[in-house]
Amino acid sequence: MKLVVQFFSSLRLTVVLLSISLALIFFGTLDQAEYGIWHTQKLYFQSFFVAWAYPAAWPAHEQLHWLRIPMPGGYLLGGLLLVNLVAAHVTRFKLSAGKSGVFLIHFGLILLLVSELLTNLLAVESQMPVDEGSRRNYSESYRENELVFIDRSHTEFDTVHSIPVSYLNPGTTIDVPDTPLSVRTVEFYPNAELGRFPGGESRGMATRGAAVSMGLVVTPKAVTYAEDAINTVTAYIEIIGPDGPLGTWLVSNVLDERFPAQVVESGNRAWEVALRFKRHYYPFEIELIEFSHDRYPGTEIPFNFSSEVIIHHTDSNKTRKALIYMNHPLRYEGLTFYQASFANDDRTSIFQVVRNPGWLLPYVSVLLMGLGMAVQFGIHFIRFLRKRQGTV
Amino acid sequence: MKKPTFLFPLAVAILIVVHGLLPQTNDSEFDIKAFSELPVQVGGRINPLDSVARNTLLILSARQRVITPEGKSLSPIEWFMDLTMRPEVADTYRVFKIENPDELGIAGLAQTGQRYYAFNDLVPYLEEITRLFRGIESDSRQRSAYEKQIAELYGGLIRYHRVMRSFHPIGTPERMDRLTDEYENYLALAEPALQALHRRHSGKDYDAALLNRFMAFSDDYSELSRTAYLRVVPPPAPVDPMDDWKNVGLELVDVMQGNELSSYVMDYSRLTTAYRSGDAEAFNATVAEMRERFRADFPGRIGRVQFERAFNGLQPFSLSMQLYVFVFLTVCVGWLRWPKELGRAAFWILAIAFAIHTLGLLARMYIHARPPVTNLYSSAVFVGWGAVLLGVVVEKFHRNGAGAAMASLVGFSTLIVAHHLAMSGDTFEMMRAVLDSNFWLATHVVVITFGYSAVFLAGALGIAFVLLGLFGKRFDKAAAKSIGGMVYGIICFGAFFSLLGTILGGIWADQSWGRFWGWDPKENGALMVVVTAAIYLHARWGGILRERGLMALAIFGNIVTAWAWFGTNLLGIGLHSYGFTDGGFFWLSGFALSQLLFISLALLPWRFWNSPFGREKFGGTRRKPGGVIG
Repeated sequence: MKLVVQFFSSLRLTVVLLSISLALIFFGTLDQAEYGIWHTQKLYFQSFFVAWAYPAAWPAHEQLHWLRIPMPGGYLLGGLLLVNLVAAHVTRFKLSAGKSGVFLIHFGLILLLVSELLTNLLAVESQMPVDEGSRRNYSESYRENELVFIDRSHTEFDTVHSIPVSYLNPGTTIDVPDTPLSVRTVEFYPNAELGRFPGGESRGMATRGAAVSMGLVVTPKAVTYAEDAINTVTAYIEIIGPDGPLGTWLVSNVLDERFPAQVVESGNRAWEVALRFKRHYYPFEIELIEFSHDRYPGTEIPFNFSSEVIIHHTDSNKTRKALIYMNHPLRYEGLTFYQASFANDDRTSIFQVVRNPGWLLPYVSVLLMGLGMAVQFGIHFIRFLRKRQGTV
Repeated sequence: MKKPTFLFPLAVAILIVVHGLLPQTNDSEFDIKAFSELPVQVGGRINPLDSVARNTLLILSARQRVITPEGKSLSPIEWFMDLTMRPEVADTYRVFKIENPDELGIAGLAQTGQRYYAFNDLVPYLEEITRLFRGIESDSRQRSAYEKQIAELYGGLIRYHRVMRSFHPIGTPERMDRLTDEYENYLALAEPALQALHRRHSGKDYDAALLNRFMAFSDDYSELSRTAYLRVVPPPAPVDPMDDWKNVGLELVDVMQGNELSSYVMDYSRLTTAYRSGDAEAFNATVAEMRERFRADFPGRIGRVQFERAFNGLQPFSLSMQLYVFVFLTVCVGWLRWPKELGRAAFWILAIAFAIHTLGLLARMYIHARPPVTNLYSSAVFVGWGAVLLGVVVEKFHRNGAGAAMASLVGFSTLIVAHHLAMSGDTFEMMRAVLDSNFWLATHVVVITFGYSAVFLAGALGIAFVLLGLFGKRFDKAAAKSIGGMVYGIICFGAFFSLLGTILGGIWADQSWGRFWGWDPKENGALMVVVTAAIYLHARWGGILRERGLMALAIFGNIVTAWAWFGTNLLGIGLHSYGFTDGGFFWLSGFALSQLLFISLALLPWRFWNSPFGREKFGGTRRKPGGVIG
C-alpha cells in the first residue's frame, strides 16, 4: 500500500504524465488535419485511449500504413494527473509561506481540470440565425439531430415530441411518447446525398411522403469532419399506428422548411414528422433590429460585425435591448450569445448560443494559477536578488 | 592594451550605426523624397508611396533593389516611378523572380542561370502562363510546389499590371506624354456628350461622332477603374480615415455623373508629363503642391505618413541584425582572448543593438497605432526583442558573455525570420474583426510572445552549455553552474509568461466564442510550451534530470516553441493538408533536426566532454560507479 501511495504521489510520475500529455497534444493537433477539430477533440481529449495512425496524406504511406502510436486519452491522463497531484499534496507537501505559490498553482490546476470535464459534460452549443426585422425563440444544434412529431392541432401552441437520432437503430421500434404512434427504423444514414431519381419514380424504400411525391433516392456518404460542412442525416422510418403500419417515410435534415411538411395521420389526429437539427426553445424571442458588417476601406477585411437586438421575454420585466459584437457577447438567462457569423447578403445574423453552467470556473482557476505563479516566481526572484547582493 | 581592446569593438559598432543612419544620397534632380511621401490608400490604410513601392517590389522580386539593363541600381521608389510613369522603360527591368524557371514547363522562357525576368521577357508567354494558371488546383492551400510557382508568377503579372495603372491609363508613349491634354479633352466633352445622350434618349437629333468619342474615353476609364491598384484620390475634405478613397479610373468615370475631377488626378498626370520630359522643376512644384493640399486636408495624418517613409529608409531591424552578429563575434573572440574587456564591449554593443531594435518596435507601433504584435511578422520582431531584453538582464547579472552571445543569436535569427516573412507584402496589414481588440493584443498576444522569447533564449543557452561543455577550454564548474542557473531562471520566466498568456488567451476565447478552451492548433501549441516548461521545472525540482538532461530539455523547448509558433500555422489549414509543400515546412523541419542534433550532443556520456567541467564530472562518475548520471 505504501508503495502504491509513493508511486502515485511521486514527482517522477508527474514528469512522465506531463511528457505523455505533450505527445497527446501533439498528435491530437496533427490529427486535426484528418478529422477536424471537433472530432479530434472527442478522439484524443475526451477519451480514455487513442491510437494515432500514420496519415494517408503523408509520404511513404504505402510502407508505413500499419504504424500506430497508442497513448492514453485526455480523460485518463487528466484523471491520473489529478490523482498524482492530490496524492502528492496529501502525502508530501507541507503548506508553508515558501510553497504557498505552488499550492495556489496546483489548486487552480485541479479546478481547471474539473471545469474542463464539467464543460465537456454540461455545455451545450447551438446556433441561432435571425433575419433583420424578424424574431426567433429557438436555436439549432449544427451537429445533433432529432426526429420530431409536431401536433399543430392547438391554436395557441404546437406540441413537439422529440426523439434523438441516436435511438434510430435499424430494426428497432420505439414508441412516440403521448401519441398512439411508434417508429421502426428501416435504414439510418449518418450522412447521405438526396437526389431525384431519373424519370421521377423512386426506387427507395419509402411508400409515403416527400420521397414518393418527389421521387427521391438516397446515396449514402462517408461522414464528413470538415469544420464548415454538415452531415445530411437521413433515415427511412416506418410509422406504426394503433391499427398497424401506416407506411414508410424518408426523413432527412436536408428536407427542411423549404419543402412541404410530411404529415402522418392516425384516427382524427395528424402530426408533422421531420428529422431536423436539434432545437432548443427559450421563453424569450430575439428580434434582430440591425446587423452591421463594416470593412476597412477598399478591402474585404472586416473590422466589425455587430447585431442590435431586442430580447422579448414572456416576463416583460426581462425585456431589454442589447448590442452583440465581436469580443462582446450577451449573457442572458444562463445563456451566452456570440456574434458568430452572417448570411443572406448581411441581412441575417447568426449567433452562437452557449449554455455552460461552469463558465465561471476557469476564470477562478486561472486567477488562482496566475496569482500562484506570481507569488512563487516572485519569491524565487527576490531570493536570487538577495543572494547576488550577498555575493557582491 | 586593456582600454583599446574594450574601445575598439565599441568604435566599430558605432561606425556601423552611423553608417546605417546616414541618409541615402540621391543625385536625381527630381524631389524623390517628397514624391515617396505622397499618400495613397491601399490595404485599408494610408501608406506613403514609398511603402507601396517597397512592398510591391518585395512581392515580385523578394528584394529591395532593381538593377537596370545598364547596370544602374534603383531604389524601390525609383523603380516605382519608372513603372508608373515610364512603363516602356520599366518593362525592360528584371523584377520578376522565378525560383525554378526550367520547371515551369514553358518552352523557351528559361534563360540559363537567370532567376530574374523583365516583363518584356515574359510577354511572348503570357497566354501560356494564363493557360497553366487556369489548369492548377483552385484551393491555394492544396497546391503543389510547381502549382505555387505558376500561381505566384501569374499573381505577380496581375499585380504589376495593376500597380502600373495606379496613376493614369497606360497607353502608347505618345498618349502618356499628353495625359493632361487627354483629360482636358475629356472634361470639355463631358457636358455636350451628356446632352447628346439625353437627346438620343428622347429621340431628338444628336452629335453621334461627339458621343462616340466620349464613349470611347469612358469605356477606357471604366476598364481602368477595375484595374488601377492604388486608391490615390481622397474624398473631399473634411475626411474620415475610414472613408473610401477612389482609384483614378473611378474618379474619371464619376465625371459622367457631373462630379468635378479631383485635382489629384490632374496632378498625377502633370507629374507624369514632367517626369517623362525630364522637367524636374515642374515635377517638384507639382509634388510640393500635392503635399500642401494633403497637409491641409489631413492635418493629423501627414506626420505618420512621413514618419513611415523615414522608418522605411532607416531599416532599424537590419541595422540591429548587423550589430547582433558583431556582438556574437566579439563574445566568441572573447572566449579565446581578453574575455573581460571583450565581454564588457559585447554587453555595450548588445545594449546599443537592443536600443535600435526597441526604436524600430516603437516606430512600428506608432505607424500602426497598435500593440507590438499583430501578425506573424511582428511576432518575429518581438520574439527577438524579448530574448535580447532578457539577455541584457542576464548578462548584467552574470557577466560571462553567454547571455550576450545567445541573446544576440536569437535576436539575429528571429529578425532573419521576420525578414523572410516580410516578403509577402505589407507588414502593417489590417486586423480582422475578431482580432481587432487592442486590449487582448496588448495582453494575451504580447505576453505569450514574450514567453516564446524566454524559451528560445533558454534553449540557445542550453546549446551554448553543450558546446562549451564539450569543447570549451575555460568552461569550468562555476561557469556551468552559472549557465545552468540562467537557463533555470529564464525558464521560470518562460513558464510564467506562457501560462499567463495561455490563460489570457482562454479568457479571450471565452469572450469571443463562448469556450475557454477549444483544442485548436494554436491553443495546443501554446499549451505544449507551458507543459514543456512544467516538465523542466518538475524534473529539476525532483532531481529527476541533472545538467545534461535539463539542457537537452531546454533545447527541446526550442522545437516545441517553433512548433507552437509556426508548425500550427502550417497545419491549421483544412482537412488532409499538412502543409508539406509550404516553404516554412522545410525550414521548420530543418530547425527541428538541428535541435535534435544538439540534444543528442547533450546526451553524450561525460567522457566526451572535454571542458574542465566535463572532465571533473567524468572523474566524479568514475569514482562513484552506480551513481546517478545526470
